[in-house]
Amino acid sequence: MDQYLSVLIFLLVGVGIVLFTFFIARLIRPHNPYKEKNQTYECAEAPVGNSWVKFNNHFYIFALIFVVFDVEAVFLFPWAVAFGQLGLFALVEMIIFIAILVFGLYYAWKKGVLKWV
Amino acid sequence: MPDYNLRLIIPEIFLFLWALFIIAFDLGTKRKNPKLIGYLTMGGIAATAVLLYLYHGGISFNNMFKSDPLALFFKVIFLGSAFMAVGSSFDIIAQKIKNHRGEFFGLVLFSTVGMMFLASAGELISLYIGLELTTIPLFILAAYYKDDRISVEAGLKYLVIGAFSSAILLYGLSLLYGLSGTTDIVMMKINLALLYLNTNGIGWALLMAIVMVLAGIGFKLALVPFHMWAPDVYQGAPTPITALLSVGSKAAGVVAFMRIFIDGLYGFADAVMFPLDWGNIVAVLAAAAMILGNISALRQKNIKRMLAYSSIAQIGYVMVGMVAVSELGVGSVGYYMFIYLFANMGAFAVATIFNDNTGSDSIASYAGLSKSSPMISAFMAIFLLSLAGIPPLAGFAAKFFVFAAGIQAGYTWLVILALLTAVVSLYYYANVIKMMYFAPDNPTIKLNTPLSANIVLIIGVAGLIIFGVYPEPILNFALDTARVFGF
Repeated sequence: MDQYLSVLIFLLVGVGIVLFTFFIARLIRPHNPYKEKNQTYECAEAPVGNSWVKFNNHFYIFALIFVVFDVEAVFLFPWAVAFGQLGLFALVEMIIFIAILVFGLYYAWKKGVLKWV
Repeated sequence: MPDYNLRLIIPEIFLFLWALFIIAFDLGTKRKNPKLIGYLTMGGIAATAVLLYLYHGGISFNNMFKSDPLALFFKVIFLGSAFMAVGSSFDIIAQKIKNHRGEFFGLVLFSTVGMMFLASAGELISLYIGLELTTIPLFILAAYYKDDRISVEAGLKYLVIGAFSSAILLYGLSLLYGLSGTTDIVMMKINLALLYLNTNGIGWALLMAIVMVLAGIGFKLALVPFHMWAPDVYQGAPTPITALLSVGSKAAGVVAFMRIFIDGLYGFADAVMFPLDWGNIVAVLAAAAMILGNISALRQKNIKRMLAYSSIAQIGYVMVGMVAVSELGVGSVGYYMFIYLFANMGAFAVATIFNDNTGSDSIASYAGLSKSSPMISAFMAIFLLSLAGIPPLAGFAAKFFVFAAGIQAGYTWLVILALLTAVVSLYYYANVIKMMYFAPDNPTIKLNTPLSANIVLIIGVAGLIIFGVYPEPILNFALDTARVFGF
């Protein structure tokens, strides 16, 4: 169990540091709440209306398609850096990967998702 | 360049590309040909089976992907369940799903690809990815009737439970990795045994890992006490998807269980290892599954709920063979799942046809079906009697081998309990048959079946009768899979 003891200590120290900082902050910070300060923070604007409003469905689908290509870009960077050592095989592999994602774009396009109505 | 041996994953690659093709084809032809797309999907599955026959046997991706007899056997079950699910969904596609037909078939194929990868997984990460690829399309498919509250509820429930169980499973797998220092299952077996012999300090961590992995896979198998999602999801999902969930996805859970427990944790199966053994835990869960599944099924009025509870009980019988951890045990589990494929897919196919024609799932509405549709009633009777385990149908042989394996391994109490609960199960299966044959006439029923559904029914009945009378070829194949574990 000795190996796990260090894990336990690490855990306790981790929790302890957080609690300690909160405690210190409470001691030294000024305490002065007023109405504007207690409002919901919304990019420094005064919040208007209820947050449970209906958004256009399209935002969601655009965001989803964006994320797909965002993740693709994340994969492309390490691939590009290591490309020198990997050679032709990596090129083919990446082409397959992108082809599958492009199929997704084709699907979305064909379904008319990209049209803003 | 390392040796990837890509030849072995040709069937999976083909099925994946075929799924993309089905989706693109449906979209490209403006969704005009629902029947053609269905037949193309069935053809693709059949072609995958041929490719599987041509390219199997070996190891690729440094032992991450094993194409051994066990994988081959279960891949046949997965392809069979996908084939029969697609075949019985033609009327649903024509009537209820107007806008997403290609996607329906495509997602079924994606899920099947996941099951195939899972069956071949030689290490924990590819096993987990296979499991996710299996379940994520099924979340969408369970909620496929977008305007039906029950279906959406089923999808959401399955998603929440599925995500939860994946997290638990992953935590258990991470503990196993932490203990053994490897994700390769065979290496894990060796390292765990060495660690156990050299140090006495792995007890609690290993027990936690066993319980968590068991819970994670138990959710996928709908093993008691992780079964509570099953009746609601089975009832709400489109009936062919329910069938795929109850056969394909369940067989995937069984093979994952085999790979992790019978292979990776082989040394910890025995009661000698108490309290670190998983054999007794699984035996108790199997007993609970058989009791709870069978007794709850007695009171069901909806055929899909009844079959859901029956499938909970069936997985209890499967686990009797699993805890035996022997050649006969592994072989009988494989044989059981193979027969279960025909019986359960067939029963759900009849339920689908009945619902397409009458819009009802209640058992009471089957009254007098034998007068108007004698063939389908006879088929349904065969499927249900096989599920109950009546000779000469194949369900009897399957139960016999599983129980024999249990007796051989010394789990006599479990087998006696299984026999008693099997008697109870006869009541609710026979109840449907009584409704169809002996209840007063209900002249409004007239069932029209599409050709593809007839093919599915005939495959189911033929499988049950042929393998009931002559079980040797499949049984030998199933016993051969036990070689994978060195029995």
